[in-house]
Amino acid sequence: MSASDGEVLLDVSKVRLTLGGHLVLENISFQVHDRIRTGEITGQVIALLGPSGVGKTRLLRIIAGLDAADSGTVRGQKGAALPAGTVGYVFQDYPLLHHRTVKANLELAGTIAGMSKGESAARAKLLMETFNLSDRASFYPAFLSGGQRQRVAIAQQIMRPRQLVLMDEPFSGLDPAALGHVMKLVQEVAHLDELNTVVLVTHDIRAALAVSDTVHMLGRFRKDGKIVPGACVRETYDMVDRGLAWRTGVQELPEFVALEHEIASKFHDL
Amino acid sequence: MAKLSEAFLPNRTLDRKTTGFIVVFWVVATFAVWLTMPFKTLPMPGDIWRALGALWWERGMGPQLFTTLRLIAHATALTVALSLLLSYLTVIPFFRPLVEGLSKLRFLGFTGLVFPFTLVTGGGYALKVALLTFGMATFFVTSMAQIVVEIPRVQFDHMRVLGAGEVRILWEVVVRGTLDRALDVLRQNVAMGWAMITTVEGISRAEGGIGALLLDENRHFLLAEVYAILFVILVLGLALDYAMGVLTNLLCPHAHLGRVTR
Ligand SMILES: Nc1ncnc2c1ncn2[C@@H]1O[C@H](COP(=O)(O)OP(=O)(O)OP(=O)(O)O)[C@@H](O)[C@H]1O
Ligand SMILES: [Mg+2]
Repeated sequence: MSASDGEVLLDVSKVRLTLGGHLVLENISFQVHDRIRTGEITGQVIALLGPSGVGKTRLLRIIAGLDAADSGTVRGQKGAALPAGTVGYVFQDYPLLHHRTVKANLELAGTIAGMSKGESAARAKLLMETFNLSDRASFYPAFLSGGQRQRVAIAQQIMRPRQLVLMDEPFSGLDPAALGHVMKLVQEVAHLDELNTVVLVTHDIRAALAVSDTVHMLGRFRKDGKIVPGACVRETYDMVDRGLAWRTGVQELPEFVALEHEIASKFHDL
Repeated sequence: MAKLSEAFLPNRTLDRKTTGFIVVFWVVATFAVWLTMPFKTLPMPGDIWRALGALWWERGMGPQLFTTLRLIAHATALTVALSLLLSYLTVIPFFRPLVEGLSKLRFLGFTGLVFPFTLVTGGGYALKVALLTFGMATFFVTSMAQIVVEIPRVQFDHMRVLGAGEVRILWEVVVRGTLDRALDVLRQNVAMGWAMITTVEGISRAEGGIGALLLDENRHFLLAEVYAILFVILVLGLALDYAMGVLTNLLCPHAHLGRVTR
């Protein structure tokens, strides 16, 4: 099995953001390259790790085209702009249209994307089967469990083909079994297509390392023990180079555990 | 049936049978107090029943009721159209002060407005519709505009991320998304309108209506008749309220799902 990097799929360059006069993001730059493995369709999973309040959600909103940065650019494949609607975004508390059933929530996303009623219904049916939601098709969101709600929210975002899907804290509040399912789901969404990319935000170091091929650690600098405002990418871990990507049971390997400890100790100073 | 002692403990849920038993107890108790009351200001149930018959067969209460129901239906339709339009307009910043201002007019009350409204509408039925609509709509706009303003931002963002245009967002999030609450507000509003109806009908009595009938009986000190009319007003009000509840469940089956019975 050989792996190499292809073209640039996402280019975040020198993004800077101030909110109410406070500097939040200073100089955020990273690129996502197509990961190529011969004989495998390999999408990309990027984890953004960082302490609470560092600006992860704000960064996702900028990439999604919901907020404008003060300066800097976000570009997609071949330098394309990414206006709101082109990038999938699974919000932290999984908002859904409460007056529509699961099926209708999915179908709405399809018709918005320009599908015919029939196409949209067929795609919704397929996704409900894949996401184990078929028996909840006629349920209103108020009657879903947290995990079901999350799966509907993810399915809704990929009703139309999406090359880029952002997820804010997809691993929070899950028991170990559910965490495993969601991690698998994230990888499935990514590996649906060679050019697919999932960018996810999390505090969970272990899950971030296990699920992604690249981990960016966001953080601020400290001077005399005090935090200097303005987060940037402090560290990048290429899990492919380290031989830790795309492997089952990777969490048991000593290299993995060592890396997890290394990052955890750095986390305290961010 | 649960142990009856449960009914006297705080924060308990009772089964239907016990609840029904308690309701029957209170109804019987009410009638017992009524029948044994020493005051002569309250007629006996039999008197009220006879007065009701007389009102219906001799005074034409049926057509009067129809007049009143038509008035409230007309005013409600206008209220819904005007208030919803104004409330939805609050998503456009330019119109916010206008809607805010109009909603403040609810403090004015009827008395001072009768004269200017008479000049504008020429009095009669149009005046009554206008007054009632004004009374209901100013309150409706207040509640509804608040509901629209309080829609969480993430609901708009969610639709934007799906690629929806502003018109679609307005329809799904602002109109459809708040329909259950709009119907709840409307339900309270119809109740308020119904409570105001005797006042409004008293302002211009020529067209009749249950309010005009009530004032007539008042003038002649026909106590049993007055209570009979009050009874009819109460029953009809409850029926309207119940109908609104049924309509809400029909249009928004999701609305009561989130509410768990205690
Ligand atoms: N309107 C504002 N004015 C000033 N600062 C703001 C404003 N909105 C957000 N912030 C600040 O921006 C920073 C980044 O917020 P953000 O929600 O992106 O954090 P986060 O990294 O996602 O945190 P968490 O992991 O807790 O979700 C926070 O420190 C927050 O206090
Ligand atoms: Mg966040």
